[in-house]
Formats: sequence, C-alpha cells, structure tokens
Amino acid sequence: MAEVAVEAVTVRVRVNGRDVVETVAARLGLADFLRERLGLTGTHLGCEHGVCGACSVLMDGVSVRACLVFAAQAHGREVWTVEGLHDTGRIADLQDAFARNHGLQCGYCTPGFLVAAAEYLDEGGAPDEDAIREALSGNICRCTGYQGIIAAVAETARARRG
Amino acid sequence: MSGWVGAAVRRSEDARLLAGRGTYVADMAGRDTLHAAFVRSDRPHARITVDAREARAAAGVVAVHTGADLAGRVGPIPMLTKPDPDFTAATGFTMVDPALPCLATDRVRYVGEPVAVVVAGSRHAAEDAAELVDVAYDPLEPVLDAASALAAPPLHPHLDANLAAEITCAFGDVAAGHAGAAVTIEQTYRMGRHGGVPLECRGVLARTVGGRLEVWTSSQIPHQVRTAICAATGWDADSVRVAVPDVGGGFGTKANVYGEEIVIAYVAHELGRGVLWAEDRAEHLVSGAQGRDQTHRARLSVDADGRVLAWEDDFLIDLGAGSLWAAGIIANTAIHLAGPYRIPAFRAHGRAAFTNKTIVAQYRGAGRPEACFALERSLDLAARELGIDPVEIRRRNVLTAADLPYALPLPYRDGVPISYDGGDFAACLDAAVELVPEAEVARLRAAHPGLAVGAGVACYVEATGRGPFESGRVRLTPGGGFAVAAGSASAGQGHETTLAQVAADALGVRPDEVAVRVGDTDAVREGVGTFASRSAVLAGNAVHEAAGRLAEEARVRAAGMLGVDAEKVEPGPGGFAIAGTETGVTWAEVAAEGPLDEVVLFRPPTVTWTMGAHVAVVGVDAETGVTGVLAYGVAHEGGVEINPMIVEGQVRGGVAQGIGGALLEEYAYDQDGQPASTTFAAYLLPGASEVPDVAVTHRMAWTDRNPLNVRGVGESGTIAVYPAVAAAVDAALGTTVTTTPITPRDLVQARRVPSAGYAPVAAGGCA
Repeated sequence: MAEVAVEAVTVRVRVNGRDVVETVAARLGLADFLRERLGLTGTHLGCEHGVCGACSVLMDGVSVRACLVFAAQAHGREVWTVEGLHDTGRIADLQDAFARNHGLQCGYCTPGFLVAAAEYLDEGGAPDEDAIREALSGNICRCTGYQGIIAAVAETARARRG
Repeated sequence: MSGWVGAAVRRSEDARLLAGRGTYVADMAGRDTLHAAFVRSDRPHARITVDAREARAAAGVVAVHTGADLAGRVGPIPMLTKPDPDFTAATGFTMVDPALPCLATDRVRYVGEPVAVVVAGSRHAAEDAAELVDVAYDPLEPVLDAASALAAPPLHPHLDANLAAEITCAFGDVAAGHAGAAVTIEQTYRMGRHGGVPLECRGVLARTVGGRLEVWTSSQIPHQVRTAICAATGWDADSVRVAVPDVGGGFGTKANVYGEEIVIAYVAHELGRGVLWAEDRAEHLVSGAQGRDQTHRARLSVDADGRVLAWEDDFLIDLGAGSLWAAGIIANTAIHLAGPYRIPAFRAHGRAAFTNKTIVAQYRGAGRPEACFALERSLDLAARELGIDPVEIRRRNVLTAADLPYALPLPYRDGVPISYDGGDFAACLDAAVELVPEAEVARLRAAHPGLAVGAGVACYVEATGRGPFESGRVRLTPGGGFAVAAGSASAGQGHETTLAQVAADALGVRPDEVAVRVGDTDAVREGVGTFASRSAVLAGNAVHEAAGRLAEEARVRAAGMLGVDAEKVEPGPGGFAIAGTETGVTWAEVAAEGPLDEVVLFRPPTVTWTMGAHVAVVGVDAETGVTGVLAYGVAHEGGVEINPMIVEGQVRGGVAQGIGGALLEEYAYDQDGQPASTTFAAYLLPGASEVPDVAVTHRMAWTDRNPLNVRGVGESGTIAVYPAVAAAVDAALGTTVTTTPITPRDLVQARRVPSAGYAPVAAGGCA
C-alpha cells in the first residue's frame, strides 16, 4: 500500500470572532479541525457523509456541513460554531425557546439545528411552519419528532419580527 | 414544599446541551489519548486467517490485537438475561448462548463483525494501519433468512442448530374457537429489519486512573457493561468503573454490551494508557445492533359480530449472528400478542434463528411492535370481511373499565401471573378517535386533492417497569445539598430532571438543590439500566424511597439536635422545625453532624401495564406511491406523569421512530449477504417534513404496583405506529398492507395489479 501523503497546509481562519492560524494536514476535515485543534466539541459528527446536519457550522454566514469541508477550505473565511453563537448571545432567544418547547432530548443534533435555525432567522425567515420544516430538512433529530424544534423556531421568528 | 412531581419543569440538562457544552464520549479525548480503529469483516460468512504484521510495523501504531491475540485473555460476551424458572416452565422456553467472541477468531458471521483492533497515536494513523491488516477469507455459504437458517448447518459450531430460542404461550381452546368462527383471517405479516440509529454512534474511552480502570461508554446499561467486562476478563467488579457521559440517543441499540467495549477496556488496561474508539456511521450501519426482522403467520377467528374467538400466531425472528436479548425479544413478542382485548383462546409460538446478518438487540418496543402489527392488521382484515368499521370491531373487543384489572392465564417474564392493571382501555380508544375526528380526515382530504387520503387506528398494550430491580441513592452532601444517583443511565430521556423532581418532593426541597448523576458504577454500585420503559418506574421509585428514608433519618437527627422527641419535629423552611415554633435546624446544620447516605434497590412486585390507541391519517401520491403522514393522534393510558413535558416528548419521539420504521427505514441485504443500507442515502431516517405534529392525550390510571403510581412510557409512542399507518394506507388505496417498510415501489406495484391485492414480499416461512 502506498504511503499516505500527509501534506501540511497553513490555515488562517476567523473562528467565533477570533483569528486562528494553524498548520494542519491537507486531509484534515473542518469538523476535526474545530473539535480536535480548537477544542470546539459542540460541533458533532453524526454521519460524516453530509446527511444528518449535526456538524453544521456557519461559514461566511452560510451553513455548511463541517464533515464535508476541509479545514484548508476555511482559509480566509469566517466560521461560527454553536459555542460562538452561544457566547455572543446571538441565539439566546432561540435557545430559550428550544428549552421551553422541549426541542431537544439527547442534545446531539441540537448544535446543528441551532446553526441551521440561526441561518434561517438571520435571513428574516418567517414564522411559517412549512417554511421552517423545509429550512431544517437537512438536519436529522432522532429523539423529538421535530415538533418542539419547529415550535421553537416559529416562536423565535415571531418574536424577532416584533 | 412539594408538588414537583407532575410539573412540566424545564430540563436541567438543556443549558449545557444548548450551549454546545455537553460532553459526549468522543469529546473526552485528551492530548495523549490513543485512538482505536476496528478491522471488520467484509464477508457475511467465511473462515478467516488474519495477518497483522504489516499493521504492527506501521508508523504511529502502538498495538494491534486480533482474535487470536485475545484467546485465553478475553472470553466471549456473556448473555444479559436469564429467564425466570416459573416463566420457563409455563412456556416451554428454551434458548442457547451463541457465545459471541469480542473479536472473531477463525470464522466471521456477518459483515461488520470486528476482527482486529488497531491502536495508534491518532485516528488517522489507526485507520490507515487498519487497512494494512490482511484478512484472508475462505467463503462459506451465507444464511440470509431465518426460515432457511433452521435447516442450515449451525453457524456457531458449539451449537447443534441455528434455533436460538423457542417459546409457546397459550390458553383456551383455540381449535374450538376457529371451528365456531364466522370469519377466519389467515395472513402472513413481515416487519423489516431496522433499528435505533442514535444520532451519536457508539464510543468507548478507557483509561487507568489511580490504578483502576475507568471505562466511559455511550451506553444505556453501564452496570451491565461492567458485569460483562469482568466476566470476559476475570477482573474484579470493584477494579473497574464504568460510567456514561452525555449519550446521544440509544433506543435499545445502546442497551447492549458490545465486544468493542470489552476490547477497548482490555487494550487500555494492557497499555496503561487512555484509548478512545469513536465509531463512525459507516461502522454503525453494519455493526451497531439492529432490530425487528420478524415474520408472523397468523390466524384470527371472529364471530359474526366481530368478537374474537381464537387468535393464533406462529412467528420467526431473524437474530442475525446473535443477540444477548433473545429471551427478551421472543418473550415480549409472544406475551404482547395477547393485546388489549378479550381473547378467549390464544396460542403464540415463537422461534428465533441465527443468520449471517448483523447482531440484534432490543429496539424501542422490542417485539411489541411486531406483535401489535400482526394482531391489529388481522382485526382490520376481519372488520373488512364483516363490513364493520375498524374502530367498531375494536370497541367490541377492547377491555373496558368493567373488565379491568384483567388476568391472563399466563405468567409474565418475572414468573408472576399476568394481570393488566389498567383503568379503561375502551375510553382510551375513544379518546384517540376524538383526537383525529372524521371531520378532520375530510378536511385533510379536501386540502390534498392530489393525494389518496385514508385513516387508520391501532391499539397496543405494554408491560412497563420490568424488574428485577433498579438502584437509587440519595446523599446529604456536606453543605446541605443533595446528590442523587441511579443505575438507570440517561440517553436523552432527561433523568437528571425527573429524578431531581422525585427527590425534591420526598426531601421537601427544590429540584435545583438536587444534583443527579446517573449511569456511573462509582456513584451507585448496583444497577440494571435504561430500557424497556422502566426508568421512571424503577429508578423513580428507588430514588423516591431512598429520599424518603433520608428525610426521616434527618428528621430524627434534627430532633436530637433540638433536644425534643422526633414526633415534634416536622419539615420547616430550609430544614426542620419544632412543630408550631420557628425553632429549627437547617439541612446544612444537619449535614454538619455527619453524612447521610441511603441506597435503595427498588424491586417491583411485577410489571405495570399501559395501553394506548393511535390514529394516523396518510396521504398517498398514487403516481409515485410516496406516503406522507398528514395527522397523528395518540391517547395513552399511563400513571402519574413525573414531568408531562418529558412524557409527551417520549410519545412524540416514539411516533417519529415508528413512522420511520413503517415507511422508510430498512437494513437491507443483497442476495450474497452484503448489507445494502450502508449510508443515510440508503437507510432513510424521517426528517422534519416526514413527521407531523402529534396530538397526545394522557389518561391517568392509578396503579398499586409502585409508591409513585407511575407507569413506563418510553416505548409507547412507537408500538402501534406500524399498523395504524398500514391501515391508513389501506383505507387510502384499498390495498392490504402486510409488510413494513411500506415502500413507494410496493404501493405502485400493488396498484398496477389491483385484483391481486397487496402482497409485496413473499414472506419467509414460519412453519
């Protein structure tokens, strides 16, 4: 078997508002980079093939699956993970709505849902149940049956519209 | 202060999970943690020889172990359940131990079976080296269905045959019942293989701490994992701590002991270093325990009014290469076939067989959904034959308040004669129908002109809160706070919240004064685990009793501190006071006199039963065969709800998984035994657009079987979904659904040949 090439690349990326410069293997995924290099373990790996959405993060304001993105592809970009969204208070209303509506049980999918919902809300998403279901259709929750999640996002959308 | 039980208090788990600061096992790796990767069989059945020399020499590799390396050091995975002797005698129950090896030695029995473990400095290095392990396969004929397995040579050479377990439950004169029938429905039903598929895969981190081995595992049953590790290695139970961090879902798949757990513990012990194995999804879909996969050949006889005269079912379970839960699955299936109805004559005969598919564990319901599907579908077909409404045939048979409690002439699995301790099953059925009335079905039909819309109903009964025991421990901590522990681990069910509510009521404090730690063998030495809708009943009552005892002990101590008789002391603000005065002592002052620590092993007299009825409305696109669930209602008869929000969440989540199993999910295998559902593009999970809002009505029924008056709920939401959805599809299309998952392809085919009805799959034999 051939030697696996472990080419190193330097990645300069702004993560949760902080500039990070790291030298990483070219094959390192963004999720592993966030989790292992930066200790941001709130980004969860659920399938590692881009279906479940648990590893969703915002890259330049758009949600991406961190399991399908190389760390090197984040070079020069701005990344927000659930920890950063939490620490800045940007999604405090959404998090509160999740808790009140029982929008989480095991919590494993939750960071991905928060990221996807944050993107929807940032874009001015309507408190429309069908639209929310569509917006969250790339995220799998195995515990809740989605009802509490949809209610939480709708409630937050309503409140943000005043 | 009291009244926390029954309140929909917010979950104490949520703050950390919503901040992305939960701790799942893969999050626990430190800088010096080693990483493990498993080499797995890519053949369903073969003799193997394993050459790990190249892998051992690879860069970054610390250790490689094959099955041969473990021989004499690590024994097979022990069975988890031993049936009660009275139950065994009454049902002719037999079972055999497949003695599954932790790593395959000379033979592999399913694709995904662990063959070797590679430990390296990084996950990448471990995976790279795992590819260098050379496994030479000498193929053997794979056995791919349970019926042919019964006639095939044994897959486990120490056994005579592939019959894993057998059971017969019977009462009444079945032959006479059939002989006097107006209508007899004979049909074969099949429920496909699917499973829990928790969003977090499995994972184990083992490390030596202060000379003791600590095993952190994503499990529902850490105490049983400890028992199994010790049985396989010969280690003393006190030398091993098994604990769970946050667990990302279980659903039965993690109520299992895996070879990987034992191997990682062994490797970490050998190396004296921390070793993490974080399963990936590709591994999980071939090696995480699967479920269901049953075929039922059933015969239901009713009189001209639709009243059941005789009910008979012969079922066969495909256990894959083995199951530690064979006894539970086959017995659950047989017993729950009796359903929530007046059935004068009953016979259930079940067998389970080994095949060359992935191992099987309990999956939410564990035999109950399969039993429910056979009985409810048969009732629907009888109703159709007689021209009776499906709700009406159930009303004529379902147990009423006058019938209950209702004894069956059968022992439960604990050996105690079965008695349904329910309130009014008929009223529960009516309540479900009210949730989705005919007018709502008509509205949905009008709102979806392009779809064929139909409604279906199904009832279930469930034994919950199975023993033999669960532990609860309550300690008064030095500052006057409280620490609660229980053997029931949480995989998202919210035990930290509900057990704090229970303890708070018994102690007269607030839940936020109670810190709960579940699923840690060091927090409480004995335990059983979370599965079978048992934690609220078992752990709830254990904590209730332990907290009650501690409160009483504290009251007596307070009396001594106050210099008065104990009967003069009652709970007061923040502690205790002399009755009618403001003189008292605080919990902190009581704690300053020394620790108080109570452990209770709660042993219920037997199970407590729940019943429920589901109503589903589906819309089927007649061109594509795609089925969507448009509305769903569940009426559920349970006990006291410790936290109604969590109870509803369990029901709704259970329905979502049932919808997945009814319409989407299947672990498929090709004709060579290769698994076909190896990604989420093939194993389809229900998403936000596939699961409707679920209307839930909770009906309270008191039980005298535990002091808290609670009943289990974890599986209630799942059991009746399959027949309710199938009935709705039949109502929409005029088909006869006998098989799940109900796929678009099968429905399109059934419509092309309408006269042939709906017979999607030739069912495997159940002779």
